[in-house]
Amino acid sequence: MERLDIPQGTLDLMILTILAREPMHGYGISQRLAVLSHDQFHVNPGSLFPSLYRLEQDGKLKADWRPTENNRRAKYYRLTASGRRQLEQHRERWDRVSFAVMSVLEGA
Amino acid sequence: MTLLHRLASMLRWIVRRDDAEQDLHDEIQAFVDMAAADKMRDGGSAADARRMAVLDLGGVEQTKERVRTGRHGAWLDDVARDVQYAWRMCVRNPGFSAVVVITLAFGIGASTAIFSLVDIVMLRALPVRQPERLVELLFKYPRDPRLNMYAWKYYERFRDQNHVFADLVALSDHPGHFQVVGPTSAPEVTDGMYVSGNFFEALGLQPAIGRLIGADESQIGSPRAAVAVITWSYWKSRFNLDPTVVGQQLLVDNVPITIIGVTRPGFSGLQLGMDPPLWMPIAAEPLLQKPSRLLDGSGQVSIVGHLKSGVTLQQATAEMRVLDRQRLAELEARGHDIQWRSATTVVEPAGAGLSTLRDRFASALLLMMAAVGVLMLLACVNVASMLLARSAARRREMVMRVALGAGRLRIIRQVLTESLLLSSLGGACGVLLAYFGAHALVTMIVSGRSPVGMPQPLQIPVHIDLRVLLFAAATAVATGILFGVVPAWHTFGSAPSSSLHEFGGTGETRTGKRFAHVLVVAQVALSVILLGAAALFVRHLSAIRTVGLGFRTDSVLQVRLDWSRGGYTLEQINPLRRAILDRLTSIAGVRSATLAAMTPISGVGGSQFISVQGFSENPDDRRRVNLNVVAPKYFETLGTPFIAGRDFAREDEWRPPVAIVNQSMARYYFGSTNPLGRQFTFQGQTTPVEIIGVVGDAKYNDVHDTPPRTIYSDAFQRLGTGIFVLRTDVPPMSIVPQVRTIVHDTVANVPIATVTTLAEQVDASILPERLIAMLSGLFGALAAVLVAVGLYGLLAYTVTRRMKEIGLRIAIGATNRDVTWMVLARALRLVLAGVIIGVPMALWTKGYAANVLAAMAASQAEAPVTLPVDTTAPIVIAVCAMLTVAIIAAYVPARRAMSVNPIVALRSE
Repeated sequence: MERLDIPQGTLDLMILTILAREPMHGYGISQRLAVLSHDQFHVNPGSLFPSLYRLEQDGKLKADWRPTENNRRAKYYRLTASGRRQLEQHRERWDRVSFAVMSVLEGA
Repeated sequence: MTLLHRLASMLRWIVRRDDAEQDLHDEIQAFVDMAAADKMRDGGSAADARRMAVLDLGGVEQTKERVRTGRHGAWLDDVARDVQYAWRMCVRNPGFSAVVVITLAFGIGASTAIFSLVDIVMLRALPVRQPERLVELLFKYPRDPRLNMYAWKYYERFRDQNHVFADLVALSDHPGHFQVVGPTSAPEVTDGMYVSGNFFEALGLQPAIGRLIGADESQIGSPRAAVAVITWSYWKSRFNLDPTVVGQQLLVDNVPITIIGVTRPGFSGLQLGMDPPLWMPIAAEPLLQKPSRLLDGSGQVSIVGHLKSGVTLQQATAEMRVLDRQRLAELEARGHDIQWRSATTVVEPAGAGLSTLRDRFASALLLMMAAVGVLMLLACVNVASMLLARSAARRREMVMRVALGAGRLRIIRQVLTESLLLSSLGGACGVLLAYFGAHALVTMIVSGRSPVGMPQPLQIPVHIDLRVLLFAAATAVATGILFGVVPAWHTFGSAPSSSLHEFGGTGETRTGKRFAHVLVVAQVALSVILLGAAALFVRHLSAIRTVGLGFRTDSVLQVRLDWSRGGYTLEQINPLRRAILDRLTSIAGVRSATLAAMTPISGVGGSQFISVQGFSENPDDRRRVNLNVVAPKYFETLGTPFIAGRDFAREDEWRPPVAIVNQSMARYYFGSTNPLGRQFTFQGQTTPVEIIGVVGDAKYNDVHDTPPRTIYSDAFQRLGTGIFVLRTDVPPMSIVPQVRTIVHDTVANVPIATVTTLAEQVDASILPERLIAMLSGLFGALAAVLVAVGLYGLLAYTVTRRMKEIGLRIAIGATNRDVTWMVLARALRLVLAGVIIGVPMALWTKGYAANVLAAMAASQAEAPVTLPVDTTAPIVIAVCAMLTVAIIAAYVPARRAMSVNPIVALRSE
């Protein structure tokens, strides 16, 4: 089955949501995204890393190098307070948007 | 917070570039490793799994690049790269870059230097509360400059009766000189100001330490008013910033005065040009000055205040005209002077300081700002034409870059970065030039005659501070864009695809060539304006120095003694000055020597009403007659011609009063009848004075004024001091040692106060004109040099390009003359085109220049002389200068053209 494109602007929201559970490295995020979307979304590292770097620059994420469970070294990202606020705001807006879209589709 | 994060992160990316890159690299490697490990678990060889993982990633380098360009501040990387590249281009062409940078440095330096003066004289707000609402009260009596000086009682009346000012404060109209003895210091003459009790509070000034003068010190003559505030710089230089200064006592003119506070740094009063260190309540004046000039009405104050909110300047002026009417009427009655009726009162903004210096220099500075603007434009056009020539040479590079996929905007940005880099370098050098230029200008300005009531020399603090630097930076950026846009835009004058066809050629287009010519023509036109203006101002200056003066300024020495020191009475001085005069005459090289109460254009003078028996006039026409008191040989010494009658003689000393008058005076009072032997009386006196001679008209106080009616009295018929005036056959300053010896031998305890030449004195009075003539001359010369460089560049380039054609011409028999003419004709054609465009513009600006000169004269004089502003000569001079420039610029290219070897040239392809 063909995979879906990630809708414009939702990648940040999904990254923040995943990281809200626990700190994670880039590869982990991409894997988690695939699992959670039932393999519908597959994020390309070429899109993932720019998003991560921008969020880090904006102070939404913080990163540090840590050993993984397999004893490799990886850069783990975690949410900052400001990232958590942004997640709440985006989440609320997304809920309203998806509710509105659903209402229109069902109402018509 | 976010912004801070971003900035910090951007900075990290720039400063720790290598670390950040390594981090990114490691992270992507880790990603690949983990992906490969997963794939291996699904089965497959290590190599295959790794290859698959990289493939999934879409390429390691591409991912890195996407991260880099996706980051905030990625543009900074581009800028940094552009700047690096531009820098390499600059360094590769050091000669070219140097010429561009020097050209811009001169333009930016000149405009910044002048701006720094315009800023301090006209724009910069005083460090006071609400400077935008601060105004001053001025009146103009016909012959005088505008003045802000009022007797105390009028200040009180205005303060109490007006409805337009939120506050009205008074301060001394000029600093007083006080003998000050500090707790530990020797007596020293110090400048001080009196201020009304509300001065500091109304202006919102705060003390650095202690307190400032306030309402407590407002009671006129009260012992509590014996206090003073000192300025920060005085505190620093005399008290070493010692905080215990508050409460200490100074002996000011032998009266104990307590220091109550120190002003903050930056406060130097309301008048640019002076920095009086001592500020005392006006209420203390009667304690210090006996008899009090404040109470007898002879002391004057300047008046400033804040407009009430909502009140306009016009409303304030209207109200003050009404309030001032009574004062003018009183002045008219007291002086029997009907001219007070035409005096006008006006309220003017004073947020940038009191108007005295502005009135004197503003129009000259603005004129120079306009001239420097034209010069700046010329420099831009010049640099644009140089960049254009180079962009033609770099066309291949540009075409290549477009072919390799560089975007149009990307290339324009690159070209603009290069021009901005050049203009920034030019700006940096320009600021350095401006630093010296501004100081040179200030040195020149303070050498001039100070306006009435201002110290001599003026203290004008000029700094290259943040405002001035901002101006220089803005100028640099604006010029960088202005001259950079042309070549940047021109790079895309034709489609890149078509340019590829000319890949092998020099890449010259027809429009490009034509455009280069247009730029040179524009340069010529702009410099015709500047050169025309320069010629006009220089000629005007020499005219104002000589035309219609009525005396000769060359070879006249003036020596003033400080008679106040010797302890002589006026009766004792009389024989002494005669003895000195006799000995001065005997110095070798002195043609004649005399004494005068004042010499022309010195800035001081006196006038009186007179009455002549049998002469009646309309009261409206009644004017004072100017006075001078001179010894025999005055007219011979000054070079003023005798028309009729005789000079004063030694025997006159014991005879009834006699006088010599000038032609204007004789004509006005006696018409065509013979004035010799006629008599007049000075107002308030009864002794008739007999006229014994008539001399030619001479200017009196101001070279801008027509010579006034003047009466010369005999110095030896009355008591006084006077200035020794000597006409010499040798350079006047060379006899100063002999003069000193004679003075010392005769009156050892009387020091010489000043030694000047008459020429210096006249020059000091026409400083704005000299400033304009000097600067416009400088700008004109720079303009000519720029045009020469621009024209030379174009011609040299043309000769190089047409080498083959020239070779061919020589081969088929063209002589050296033909070839020279070919180059010269091109130069002349361009110059002529520029002249044709420039002359009408120069004629137009001439009207503006003439207006400024007339306004300057009018601000100084009641009946300003109108020196003819010659229209043709300056333009002829400018055109001749341009033709000379054309010939000079054509010389080297023509020589090169002549030396073309036809065989080599024809084979070169």
